[in-house]
Amino acid sequence: MANLAADLDYRERASRGELDLGWLRRSRAEWGIRAEPSRIGLTLRDIAVGTYGEVPDHPPRRTMAPRGADIPDDVPDMGYTINDKSEVWSDNVMELYEEAVSRQWSATRDIPWGDLAPIDPDLEHAMCQLATVLSEVEMVAADFPAKWLWRINHDFVEAKMFLCTQAMDEARHTEVFRKRALANGGGLGRATAVVEEFLKVILDAQSYDEGSALMHLLGEGIVLSLFRAGEMIAPSDVEKRIFRLCMQDEARHVSYGTMHLRYRLQRDPSLAEDFHAYLDRGEALMAVLFTTPEVVEPATILAAGSLEAAAALGSAASDVLRIQTVEEYLQRCDRAGLDRRGRMHLPDDLIAGTSGVAPGGVEAGASSPGTTVAAASGGVA
Amino acid sequence: MTPGTASSAGFPSAGFFDELVRDVVRRPEEYERLGFADCRLVIEVVEPTGEVRRFGLVLDGYDIRSEGEIADLDGFHPEVVVSGALDTWSEMLAAIAEHGFADRSHTLNALSIAGFPLSARSDDPIGRDKFYRYAETLQTLFDSVGLRAPAEA
Repeated sequence: MANLAADLDYRERASRGELDLGWLRRSRAEWGIRAEPSRIGLTLRDIAVGTYGEVPDHPPRRTMAPRGADIPDDVPDMGYTINDKSEVWSDNVMELYEEAVSRQWSATRDIPWGDLAPIDPDLEHAMCQLATVLSEVEMVAADFPAKWLWRINHDFVEAKMFLCTQAMDEARHTEVFRKRALANGGGLGRATAVVEEFLKVILDAQSYDEGSALMHLLGEGIVLSLFRAGEMIAPSDVEKRIFRLCMQDEARHVSYGTMHLRYRLQRDPSLAEDFHAYLDRGEALMAVLFTTPEVVEPATILAAGSLEAAAALGSAASDVLRIQTVEEYLQRCDRAGLDRRGRMHLPDDLIAGTSGVAPGGVEAGASSPGTTVAAASGGVA
Repeated sequence: MTPGTASSAGFPSAGFFDELVRDVVRRPEEYERLGFADCRLVIEVVEPTGEVRRFGLVLDGYDIRSEGEIADLDGFHPEVVVSGALDTWSEMLAAIAEHGFADRSHTLNALSIAGFPLSARSDDPIGRDKFYRYAETLQTLFDSVGLRAPAEA
């Protein structure tokens, strides 16, 4: 530890008014730099000017000093363990941070809670169970970044700031679904071992690489699909607004995860097999999620509009959700530079109708009417 | 209004989308509260004859611009194309006009979730995901049809 004894000589000189900023004139700061605001204000991209905009691939120091500041030799080493830019960076991280700050909303103020009205008890049970699951899973996406934030080198501060917005987003999601469960006479439903196992895998990830792939790309991709479905099957305009606002946040996190993995693999393609192994494990749990009544039944009942209609609907609604979830996940993996087609770890029944089917695997005929297999269309749909 | 016929101030037309984005000027605080956005989006309308018409929208910060009818799709460089039959678009607008906003089954998200009857397609999933990232802004924009006087809608 540096000698931090009080400098009484300086105190004496300062008391005599001998203040001249001379110590600052010796710094290497870029005096005269002047960042110009863009139309929406002064953004992180706007201030990425001169050397301040240069994010080192391997920072020479491990301090909390702002990147670009003059750093004396005696500042302590913070012991960061993530000191390679590609471990956390994505090319869209500055824009996603600004967007996150701009698009914050309040679960207290922006949801028309007063419009909630009594609904059929079966639908209320289903909605409350769905809210229980979502309130359960969302907080891990705050816990995970929080677990890794203090290990990330401060020179990657924009990525750290984005992860802070994610923690706030997820706190709000946890809040809004807890509030929904308690706001209309239903209360919380039941937690499940499989959901908790999936959350534990994310939280116990041995590296940020592993956890980010499991959470940002796989887990949040699934939840994004659930939010989209929730918006469609919401029993009232109150839940519809909840799901739509959550959807926006979740899509931001997934965009970070996709582009972060792309950034990582572009700089070290040899990591591809590691990421495949992480996702092999995660997909196995995803398969269980698709067959868990606490997850599947609420969505099916809400989609059908009643318990009786749900019996008639059978698996049609969950098939649409399953195929859409798998397709969008595969497309994001493609964008990141990781081809998961043909090696997904899902049982045949769950992969049927998707482009994840291995050559010679199950037929796509199980696809529900109206669903699309994007690979056939060239683009993504 | 009968689905499949022109509706809501001449949908589909450049004039319809010009009028749509005027809502941002009329109610700036509503859009600013939702936050800024950044997306080049095309609304694609497939007429019963099979003719395809495309209209460009640019979400730029707190502004939304109508770029009129797009003849050269690639030249517009869309990040996402939301496509559907005229009947579907007309039914959606009729539902908005009737309720004042999109009801449960007529939101942009609900209509596109299975890729049918609307689809949100993109060459890049990041572009497609922008359709989700700005869902509330886009829905607010289309829901503004429900704020118009009956003679306009």
